[in-house]
Amino acid sequence: MHLASTEKVGHVRAARHAEGTSVSSDSTVRGAASDAGRDMAYNAVRDIPYDDLKAFEGRAAAEAGIGKDLVNVPMIRHWCEAMGDTHPAYAGADPIAPPTMMQAWTMGGLSGHEGRSDAYDELFGLLDGAGYTSVVATDCEQEYVRALRPGDEISFDAVIESVSERKTTKLGTGHFVTTRMDIRAGGELAGTHRFRILKYAPARRKPKGKRPRPVINRDNAGFWEGVAAHRLLIQRCGGCGELRFPWLPGCNACGSPEWDTIEASGEGTVYSYVVMHHPPFPAFDPPYAVGLIELAEGVRIVSNVIGVPYDKVRVGLPVRLEFQRVDEELELPLFRALGGGPPFTSGGEPFGSGGEPSVGGGEPCAGGGALVEGGPGGALRVGEELPALEIPITRILIVAGAIASRDYQDVHHDAELAKAKGSPDIFMNILTTNGLIGRYITDRFGPTAVLRTVAIRLGAPNYPGDTMVLSGTVEAVDNGPDGVTAMVKVVGTNGIGKHVTGTVAVTLPPGGTA
Amino acid sequence: MSLRTRDGLGGKAAIVGIGATEFSKDSGRSELRLAVEAVRAALDDAGLSPADVDGMVTFTMDTNPEITVAQAAGIGELSFFSRVHYGGGAACATIQQAALAVATGVAEVVVCYRAFNERSGRRFGSGVQRREPSAEGAALGWSLPFGLLTPASWVAMAAQRYLHTYGLTADAFGPVAVTDRKYAATNPAAYFHGKPITLADHAASRWIVEPLRLLDCCQETDGGQAIVVTSVERARDLPHPPAVITAAAQGAGRAQEQMTGFYRGDLSGLPEMSVVAQQLWRTSGLAPSEVDVGILYDHFTPFVLMQLEEFGFCEPGEATGFVAEERLPLNTHGGQLGEAYLHGMNGVAEAVRQIRGTSVNQIPGAAHTLVTAGTGVPTSGLILGSDG
Repeated sequence: MHLASTEKVGHVRAARHAEGTSVSSDSTVRGAASDAGRDMAYNAVRDIPYDDLKAFEGRAAAEAGIGKDLVNVPMIRHWCEAMGDTHPAYAGADPIAPPTMMQAWTMGGLSGHEGRSDAYDELFGLLDGAGYTSVVATDCEQEYVRALRPGDEISFDAVIESVSERKTTKLGTGHFVTTRMDIRAGGELAGTHRFRILKYAPARRKPKGKRPRPVINRDNAGFWEGVAAHRLLIQRCGGCGELRFPWLPGCNACGSPEWDTIEASGEGTVYSYVVMHHPPFPAFDPPYAVGLIELAEGVRIVSNVIGVPYDKVRVGLPVRLEFQRVDEELELPLFRALGGGPPFTSGGEPFGSGGEPSVGGGEPCAGGGALVEGGPGGALRVGEELPALEIPITRILIVAGAIASRDYQDVHHDAELAKAKGSPDIFMNILTTNGLIGRYITDRFGPTAVLRTVAIRLGAPNYPGDTMVLSGTVEAVDNGPDGVTAMVKVVGTNGIGKHVTGTVAVTLPPGGTA
Repeated sequence: MSLRTRDGLGGKAAIVGIGATEFSKDSGRSELRLAVEAVRAALDDAGLSPADVDGMVTFTMDTNPEITVAQAAGIGELSFFSRVHYGGGAACATIQQAALAVATGVAEVVVCYRAFNERSGRRFGSGVQRREPSAEGAALGWSLPFGLLTPASWVAMAAQRYLHTYGLTADAFGPVAVTDRKYAATNPAAYFHGKPITLADHAASRWIVEPLRLLDCCQETDGGQAIVVTSVERARDLPHPPAVITAAAQGAGRAQEQMTGFYRGDLSGLPEMSVVAQQLWRTSGLAPSEVDVGILYDHFTPFVLMQLEEFGFCEPGEATGFVAEERLPLNTHGGQLGEAYLHGMNGVAEAVRQIRGTSVNQIPGAAHTLVTAGTGVPTSGLILGSDG
């Protein structure tokens, strides 16, 4: 699946710059920045004979690169704080570095990169010169061979593994460039890192219209004043006490004109819903779901269900109120799908941020499949759904994650510059997403769990104010000599769509304790 | 008092003329001209002249004022003119207005009409993105910021709940579409003349607003339709057998809304149509089994199922089987899915043809036809009968 088929890839990632050493270069930064302020009209692009691009395959992207710092406790601690990762293996007297941090040790940081190859500069020069000036990171696949410990000296080599033919995606037209990096610690292979970026010319941005405005008059202004104060107000009849919605100047039950309001608890369920496909409207990207929410207080309200893909909205889905700013002038009461009902059917509460790692796991899946005893969460079954993890995407998380991963791209910390490059705001970098997925998996599988591989693909960006819900499903279980290895499919959904899809291999050593 | 007692309107007036323009996707002329052409055709059909007309009724949504249609159609002084609100819910109510005027002597000959370029001009299906802050605008306004913007979407919200309540899938709507298109296939006036569909075609058609597919949605049409009403006595002297207005009713439910009736009840029925049904059965003295043809408003298929249930033709949740088994001849002109979307007025004309015995899909011996108007809104209905 390439970008063309990922959902809701906004144009806003146009200026995104790949974060890895293997692709970062000053020239690409300038290339992306050159789009700034310009309306993203289709860049004039020139066809590059594919053979000219293919000739780069197999050539070095980075040679004898050296990590700027030895693996060290302060950087590990900063990473764990940013990710909210409380895994005991990353702290204490003899910590290891979180495996998903691997790429961070190779980053150039503020002062730039060393060890980049001529071939790599040439390839990017060729693509920039042909008009493919923007960069977006799309995939990251990491395999961890051995743990990194404080004192390890990091060295790395990278090769240009493949350059794709010209592809047209939702973002624009360009070429995918895949690099593969070997990362060594003290000369010994510690892991591999495959990174795919799209070098592209942004497609013309179609002006996105604003959502239709609420129709506000003297009878219902109080409701919208409540919304502005982040309170969902329900009218209560002064005569008979009946709650009512929509707002009206009198009671249908008794006719009384007297009323006051109560504030909704925010809990509700989906009473009905539709999925809009046609016709398209400027403010909306079909297909999208509109729900009729029955509040806990008994009245109903039309709104959008967020936090689940449009095709997972169901009658009966539990939801919770959330106020979301949809443009400069408009905040709306929206309803976020909660775990505990469809589509998250696992038992147990979602972890709170920074809370105790939950090892309870879900109820055994009735669907059967391989059953392996001894995991810290009890029986590990194919089909088991991990409890969902809800991660508020705060501005501080985005910035702290970028800095902890040594990624100083402006789009991850400077809202003004991010906007100048066509993004509505700053957005989370791929290394932070990777780190959060590492945390999600080890939280579930306990302190003895060893991450083997993490492979992710990005979709809808994580912007401040959104919430990402990570969910996971055990897709395969293998009982090997090193212990039980589970393949877990992970999906991170935000208010726009799927932020990330990926697969993680995690091993539980024999005799591991919960 | 007709919510509780039999009313006195039944049997007083009759439909004596029907007339329409062609039904097209681009009429090439003004809505006023379509209205005037339809009115003239209906008067010709009735054997009456413009000079006979003293009353006119249309929809509040119609852009053609009664006075202007009269002016251009050669109609003189008017003693009665009226318009009915709530979109397609007005259709049968225009006839009720005419019958009320005729029965009380306020007017002698009343023409009801509806004409628009709904396909080539303002298309209802293209949706709504803003409303004025009137009470009516505010009511719709609760849905707009969330992207619930089209008639299909407003119907789909109730349709989804209906499916959930009765454990059905979106395929349940298929029999309505297939039935409409079956009759349209043999109706030369229908847009889909010669083009029947199968349940498989329905199931394969693309989503418009889930759970509604393309083939659950009516057409969009340019055209005009007019209906002439006079007293039963005068009707007996005119060329066609009278279609007697046996019963006519309007209905709005408690906490009624226009298309956004999401906040009341269980969303699995049409309470306003129940109000209509109770009046029609009471006034006509008829039972569902005595209806020979049903012309049920079909802008979207799910509400046809709910209407059958509200009128008591079958139990709640069972209408899809009722339609599939063809237990009642339904929308024999092809309906608004198959013939044309004329805001329900072409359905009134078909009910008249069935009473006259002149439908292209004539049900032999049809003596009582049921016609309904727009659903999801305050609505109306008629039972027409043969004279004597």
